[in-house]
Amino acid sequence: MGVLTDRGKATAYGIFSLSVLLTLWICATSLFQWIEPRVLPSPAQVIRQFAWIITEPFSGLRLPGHILFSLERWGWGVLTAGLVGIPVGVFFAWNPWFKTFLNPVFELIHFIPPFAYIPLAVLWFGASTATQAMVVFVAAFPAIVINSQLGVAQVEKIYVDAARVFGASPFRTLCRVVLPAAAPSIYTGLRIAISNGWMALVGAELVVGKVGLGFMIAQGQENASVATIFVGVITIGCLGVLIDTLVQRSERYVLPWRRVAG
Amino acid sequence: MEQSVGKMASGSTNPATEAPAKLELRNISKWFGPVGDGVHAVDDCSIEVKKGEFIVVVGPSGCGKSTLMTVGAGLENPTQGEVLVDGKPAGSPGPTRSVVFQKFALFPSETVEQNIKFGLQMTGVSAAEQEARLVEQLKIMGLELFRKSYPSELSGGMQQRVAIARALVMQPEILLMDEPFGALDAQTRTILQEEVQRLHREKHYTVLFITHSVEEAVYLGDRVVVMTKRPGRIKRVIDLPRDVIWKTGDIELAAEHPEFIEFRREIWGLVREEIVSI
Repeated sequence: MGVLTDRGKATAYGIFSLSVLLTLWICATSLFQWIEPRVLPSPAQVIRQFAWIITEPFSGLRLPGHILFSLERWGWGVLTAGLVGIPVGVFFAWNPWFKTFLNPVFELIHFIPPFAYIPLAVLWFGASTATQAMVVFVAAFPAIVINSQLGVAQVEKIYVDAARVFGASPFRTLCRVVLPAAAPSIYTGLRIAISNGWMALVGAELVVGKVGLGFMIAQGQENASVATIFVGVITIGCLGVLIDTLVQRSERYVLPWRRVAG
Repeated sequence: MEQSVGKMASGSTNPATEAPAKLELRNISKWFGPVGDGVHAVDDCSIEVKKGEFIVVVGPSGCGKSTLMTVGAGLENPTQGEVLVDGKPAGSPGPTRSVVFQKFALFPSETVEQNIKFGLQMTGVSAAEQEARLVEQLKIMGLELFRKSYPSELSGGMQQRVAIARALVMQPEILLMDEPFGALDAQTRTILQEEVQRLHREKHYTVLFITHSVEEAVYLGDRVVVMTKRPGRIKRVIDLPRDVIWKTGDIELAAEHPEFIEFRREIWGLVREEIVSI
């Protein structure tokens, strides 16, 4: 173990803990049948179901189709939350008046659970992509606003002073000095927003719509197919981890100076 | 020895005294918070910096000398008094007055090159001119190898060189330096003090330099302004000889010169009075 780096160790422990879980699962189902298959399917059953849903349409679509619909809704929701949330957060910090004026509204919205918007979203958009995207938006928005605001508020005054001394207008100071300095915090906000949005999406799909991973799980329940539910849940978990890893990895390319800040 | 000292001292009637004030702080008072109730940082300070002059402001810590500098740069408005450049109100900060900050204030997201070019880009200097001036400054400050480095990859001394280059590349009429070497280790500080001395002698920059180091003040200054403790007032202004031999060499050699020692003792005596008095 001594030759492993910290990251190597983390990976090793990760593989180890997942293996323990898998072993327990195999023992409880295929091996000793501690738990009935209609309560907990065996890994083999889940894998068969995976293969089946990938090749045969389930409720009209194969698994990749359900995934793409889910990703599309999630993408629109997170994208709009970012496009609206980052400027709102930045202006909250940049202009105190703006914050005083809008903060009460924001605080109120912030404490309404995303799922409470589902009925409203259905009335507004019907059963379209926009419905789930709106729920994702609502779930993602506050984290982006709060972290963008924090990031800008934490930028040291001396950088703004330096920009002024060297002739930068407020707008160029914002773009070239303040936003890059706030970027790590904005990034953190995006990461939280992305995972919040992902969770809200699955919740929304359970209730509304005829496609998507959440819908797939709901159908599994309708058909009393626990294996289908497991396929859905595992896919949702893996995609979530994958997306978060990609975003985390992208930080070093988007914010190159952070690589050396060590 | 004594005679030569006297001769050099009399040579201190420098040509700059006849020139008009490049930068003038006139009756500056600064309160943070409400007048009479907030913090009274600076009280009725007047300083004239003539073209080509190197003025050093020295005083106990917390005496408002940095406030004087931020007011001089236009970053803060004085509560009373005014800042003049060439006899006219100076207005908001701008590239005629470049600043070197104590904590460097380099933009962390930009490379050395981008930091140095920053002011040139903001003031619409052509790309070719930007490049030429950048290359020149990199050479002067010995930064050629670090052009693509980020500030976080550099030592404190190197970062402050970048900050000085960023200020000088603007070809400013006035250079304001706020305890620029305060955050550096003693060895790096010595090297940079000597470089600033050399730059000033070669290029005749007009400088307002803030420090708490009496030694630095005597070595670098043409005139030294001693401030009282808060609220900072001007306690004494001391003219130092220019173009004397001990200012052209290393600071350790200068520190052994009788004239240097005499000035240092006098100025330290004034600063000390402020520190020990209650």
